[in-house]
This record gives sequence, structure tokens and C-alpha cells, in this order.
Amino acid sequence: MGSATEKTIFSSYVRKEGLFDEVFKGNGNVKSVYQKLLDLYGSRSIEDYVNLNTKAKSSFFNQGITFQVYGDKQSQEKIFPFDLFPRIIDPKEWEIIEKGAIQRSLALNHFLWDVYHDKKIVKDGIVPIELLSSSPNYLHQMMNVDPPSKVYNHISGTDIIKHSDGNYYVLEDNIRCPSGVSYVICNRTALKRALFGVFNHYKTHTVTNYAENLLHLLESVKPPGVDSPVCVVITPGMFNSAYYEHSYLAKAMGVELVEGRDLFVENDFVYMKTTQGPVRVDVVYRRVDDLFIDPMEFNPDSALGVPGLFAAYQKGNVTIANAPGTGVADDKAIYTYVPDIIKYYLDEEPILKNVHTYHCSRPDELKYVLENVKELVVKPVDEAGGYGISIGNKLTKDEIEKVKAEVKANPRKYVAQPIMSLSVHPTYIDEKESFEQRHVDLRTFTVLGHDQQFVLKGGLTRVALKEGNLIVNSSQGGGSKDTWVLKQ
Amino acid sequence: MFYEYEIDYDTQNSYEKGLNEAFWQFLVVPEENDTQELTYWHFENDLGERNSVSINGLGFRTVQVRSKKEIDHIKFNAHFKLIKKEVNPFDFELPLDSKEDYDQLRSLDFRIDHEPFLRNTRLTHLPEKYATIFPFDENVSLFENLQALNQWVFNKIFFKPGVTDVHTHMEEIIEKRHGVCQDFTHLFCAIAKKNGVPTRYVSGYLHQGNGFFGDSQMHAWVEAFVPNAGWIGFDPTNNLLANHNHIKVCHGKDYTDCAPLKGVVYTLGKNETKYSVLVKAAQQQQQ
Repeated sequence: MGSATEKTIFSSYVRKEGLFDEVFKGNGNVKSVYQKLLDLYGSRSIEDYVNLNTKAKSSFFNQGITFQVYGDKQSQEKIFPFDLFPRIIDPKEWEIIEKGAIQRSLALNHFLWDVYHDKKIVKDGIVPIELLSSSPNYLHQMMNVDPPSKVYNHISGTDIIKHSDGNYYVLEDNIRCPSGVSYVICNRTALKRALFGVFNHYKTHTVTNYAENLLHLLESVKPPGVDSPVCVVITPGMFNSAYYEHSYLAKAMGVELVEGRDLFVENDFVYMKTTQGPVRVDVVYRRVDDLFIDPMEFNPDSALGVPGLFAAYQKGNVTIANAPGTGVADDKAIYTYVPDIIKYYLDEEPILKNVHTYHCSRPDELKYVLENVKELVVKPVDEAGGYGISIGNKLTKDEIEKVKAEVKANPRKYVAQPIMSLSVHPTYIDEKESFEQRHVDLRTFTVLGHDQQFVLKGGLTRVALKEGNLIVNSSQGGGSKDTWVLKQ
Repeated sequence: MFYEYEIDYDTQNSYEKGLNEAFWQFLVVPEENDTQELTYWHFENDLGERNSVSINGLGFRTVQVRSKKEIDHIKFNAHFKLIKKEVNPFDFELPLDSKEDYDQLRSLDFRIDHEPFLRNTRLTHLPEKYATIFPFDENVSLFENLQALNQWVFNKIFFKPGVTDVHTHMEEIIEKRHGVCQDFTHLFCAIAKKNGVPTRYVSGYLHQGNGFFGDSQMHAWVEAFVPNAGWIGFDPTNNLLANHNHIKVCHGKDYTDCAPLKGVVYTLGKNETKYSVLVKAAQQQQQ
């Protein structure tokens, strides 16, 4: 126990004016959901905390939970920086997030069906045809293909922030191959080891059943006529930044992890090579991008895919999750239409708000963006992982000119948003040997199956570890926290 | 009038270092449509592997061969018999007012319905500096503009095998003025799309009896969509409308969708591909 002379964990914590702190109120009092946690640990010393945190981190190393940053030649693999101090979400707020995430996923699924069939939303003038025709992810081959159970976006990763106004906003809908769920589970495991006692005081929803639920929903969208489907996880291979997650999910679901060359197609059926001979595969959870899944239909140079896979899919002999062509709705230009998409298909008001977005493809909005780069976040529409984002108030004069030239040269490639003030969460910073406020977001995971869906009760709270930084992606040096959703 | 054809497609692929696993997909089967009836097909490969018939993402028949043995080559032969119906390519009515065509091209519903074939692709993208190289004259009908474009491309480009390939930029084709049927076709598609006309790349066989420019292998031409008439075939390599000598296999946005052979082979060495096509007119039937 820390004595009065030692630094307790929050003794040097500074709350900055204007930032929305998730743990402390404006007057410095602790918010109710965190009270118990601070009662239990608040008087501990920083040293105690560091010891616990180090233990927890070493368990990540020992389990080999790592990722890789593209373009960083120094090291191949890093552990995802982890902060022991958890984020807690009360049941009422969670209800909003959960309903909102499901609403978005269902609406986007309707949208995908429509753009690959009758295109009513385009004919009714809600979404411009140019947005589709200029998207490399709008696959001609998917036109009039009916995916099993009419599901396209089986797995969505919705990035949500809490703004300084106290409301939740959606930043992005990731529906190609969203990653991060393995960290959610590993963070919980690490926290349970380090702070096992605390779970006696909080009624927290489990997250470790994710793989089980995912398998159940993937099995529910099996091709017609299959009784007990064989599922596999297909990965681009061990050099992919999310390889750990691919292998984790396969293991946790009890299914095989395969690469393209482990599968083959014959007579429009997909088989896995095994030591006991070929085994038919019915559901492919793919973590390989659309344009690489089948060199016969898409990128002919792809060595990651399975030749003939698309023909087997189109014939209804295999389910691919997420469905090919889903990426057309995972485009930051489509994002701006999601509130309209929700109203159009579900006749409901959006539960979660969108951040206002300017389309550089529209001349008047382009003009505004060019004049106000300094006050805006400029993002490429088709990049994931936080690559290519520039935040206006962090740029030098030269950098601003560079961004302007880039946007002017290729307006369709960019959108811009006001700089949102993400909420902050106390995070232990090694160099400072103390807790400081850091911006956080929340990636939630929504899974759609045959007439059923669920949102993982938890999620990945990502932390921007650099002071004042707003980009939380792991590929940009972000860290993470365990996220507790409390039971009613 | 009906024409009966026999078609032989022969290919041999050799792999210097050999390979122990491969997958080939042939897109060489004539399409069955209103003017083409396939009466016989036969496929053979010298590896003793199964020839599986499948359908590709754009709805055309393919033949797939998978090999899991140590080999250094594959020979594949496809033999078809086909009855082709002669149709009069002028068998439609030109609108009384040519404006009607253009109004329809510009309507939102039309652009949505024909979106895939209005899309720019790498191979059918007209360089910005040539954007107005062939503007359509809206005082005459769309069909007449397309005919004029057909003739213009035919006169603009000189048929010269071996100087271009799938990586050649359209700029080079326009400036050096040479190419093969793929290049004629892509240029036609690019200009027509620029003028708002849906066009598609067609791959097929050309019966060469009458001394046309084909490439003595597989041929390529264009189908353009004319409101109230439908898809009409233009062969800019020969300055013709597609007729009973044009035997269609498939269509797509450009050559990439229509490559007759796609393969995935696991080998380090070089490979060599040879193929030949023979189209014979068996007899003409008066019916």
C-alpha cells in the first residue's frame, strides 16, 4: 500500500480545460461508474501500478500477440501498447451504441443488396451514381448475385467517438475486413490476470464468447442444402499485420486457418487440402481483400486468393464473409450518406450521429475545404488504418500547401471533416511516469447472420498515445484499453 | 439464312522449370444467343485432367483445368460446331428526331442501368488531352455517329501485330497510330463512352474467308448500346458492322474481362504460350 509520501496513481493527473474527461467530472469528482475502481485502487502508488502493468504486458509478449506497422523497416512485430486502466460504459449508454451499431449495419446491408440489384436508392436520387461508378470496390461481377441469407456485411467494425458535447458520433464504418477483436479478448484476459479481484465488484459483460457467437452466425449463413457446414479462416499469410488475429480467431472457433494455396476449386466446389484428402469447405471467413480473393475474376497477379472461388460462390456452393463487393459501402464518401441510407431503407432516424463531412468532389465544398484546410481533417476515401490522414491544426504551412495540391489534383479521393474533440481517458505514460489525458475512440464489432445479429458487448478502446494526437489506429502507434460494458 | 461453322481452338503452354500445381481457365466457348446456336462442343487436354465447365462473374461459360502433377506443359483443344443466323444489322428504325437518342443517354435511369459499360477502365480511358478527339454530332442520329466513329478508328489506326500489348497506353496508340484489334476496340469504346454511349468489348472468332483483318487468332470488336435498337456490333478493325462472320464468345468492360486464357501456375521459370484458331464455314443452309 502506498504511504502518504508516495505518489498515488492520480496525484499528478492534470485535467485540461475544454477536454471531455470520461472519468472525472468538471469539478474533479469521479463519475459514478468509476467510483468503485478508484475506491479499490486510487490510493495505490504509481509503482504498484507500473508493476502490474508490466506483468500484464509481458503476458502479451508471451502469447505472441503482436502486430506490424507497414513502412516501418526497424522492426517486424510490436506488441499493441496496452493500458491497464479500463474504460467503463454504463448500461444506458451502451444501449444507444448497440442499437445504433445494429441499425447502421442493417441499413448498409440493405444498401448493398440494392446497389447490386435494382439500384432504387440511386434512381430515387438519394445517392449519386458517380459515387458507385468511381469506386474500385463496386464489383460488376456481384450484380444480381444473391448472397446466402441476403447478408453482405457479416462483420462490421464501427468506429465511434464521444465528443465533448457528450454525444456519440460514428467516424467510420469498416466493413471490408475489420480487425482488432482479438485485442478486445486478450485485453480482458490480461486484465483478469492482473486485477482479478475487481471483477467481484463490477458486473461486466463477458467478451470471450465472441468467437463462439461468430462461428454460430457464420454457420447460420451456410449455403442452402448444407447440414453441418465446414468453416475456415483465410489469411493473406504471416506477413499480414493482423496475422495474429487470424490465427487467434481460427483457433478460438475451432476451425482451420488457411492460405489461398491450401484451398482449391473443382467443379465449382471449394476444397481444403488435408492429410486425409480433400475436405469440402462451405463457409469462408476471409481476411483477404476483394481484389485478391480470386485471380480468375479480379487482380490476376494475386497469389493470395483461390482460383475459381468466385464462380463457386456465384453458384451458391460456398459462403464468403464478408461478401465480395461489400467494400463499396466502406468508402468515406458513402459514409456521408449513411443517415440518408438509414432513413431510406428502415424509415428510422439514425440513432448514432455522423460527423459532418465535406465531399471534395463537389465544387462548392471543395472550395470550402481548400480555404479551411487548417480547421479540418482531410482523409482519403479508400484507405484504411489511418493512412493518409492529415489534421489541419497540426500541419506546417508547407504541409498545408501540399495537402491542398493533392486534394485539388484528385478531389474524388478526399473528404474532409471538422476536427472533432474526442473524449479523453486517463492513460499511463511511460516517459512521464504518470497518468495523463489521452484521446480515445471505440471500435465496436457487429455480426449479422441469418435473421439474427449481435454486437460484442465491449469493444476496442483505442488510445492515441502522443499528447494531443487524435489518430488512434494501431498502425499509427495507438494503444488500447479493456472496455467494460456493465450489466443492468 | 443460316451458316454452319466449325471452330478449333488449340493452345500449348510450356513451362521451362516445370510445375507441380496449376489452374487454367479458358474463355473460348461461343455464347448462345439469338443468332448463335452451339450444336457441339468437345474439350481435350493432354494431362488427362478433367475439363470442368463453369460460369464466370460476367455470366459466360469457361472451361477450367486443374493439374496437381509434375508437368512442364499443357496442350488444350476445344472444338465447336455452331449455327449462326444471318441478321440484318440495319433492322431497326432510326428515331424521327435524333434528339430523342441523346436525351435518353443523358437520363439518370439510363446511366444507372448501363453503369458497368459507361465506367472508365484503365484500358478504355481516353486521355484528357484527347477528350474531344471525336465529338458526336447531335444533329444526326446516334447510330450514324457510331458508324462514323467506326470508320474514323479504322482510318486512324493501322493494323500492325506485335507492336502493342495489354500494357500499351491509349496515348501511344493514338499517337503512333498502330495496333491490333484490341487497340481498335478499346479506342472505339473510350470515345463512345466519352460521348455517353455504353459500350462493351467483345471477344470472339472471325470467319476469315473474305480477307478481313483479324489477327488470325481470336478477334475483338465492340457492342454499343443504341436506345430503341439495343446492342449493335461494330468492328472498327474492318470498318464493318458485326455480321454472320463474327462469332461471339463473351463481352466485358475491356480486354481484362475477356482474356481467353487465365492461369495460376506455381513456377519460377519462364513460360511460353502458343495458340491458334481455325474457323471453317461448313455449308450454307437456306431456310
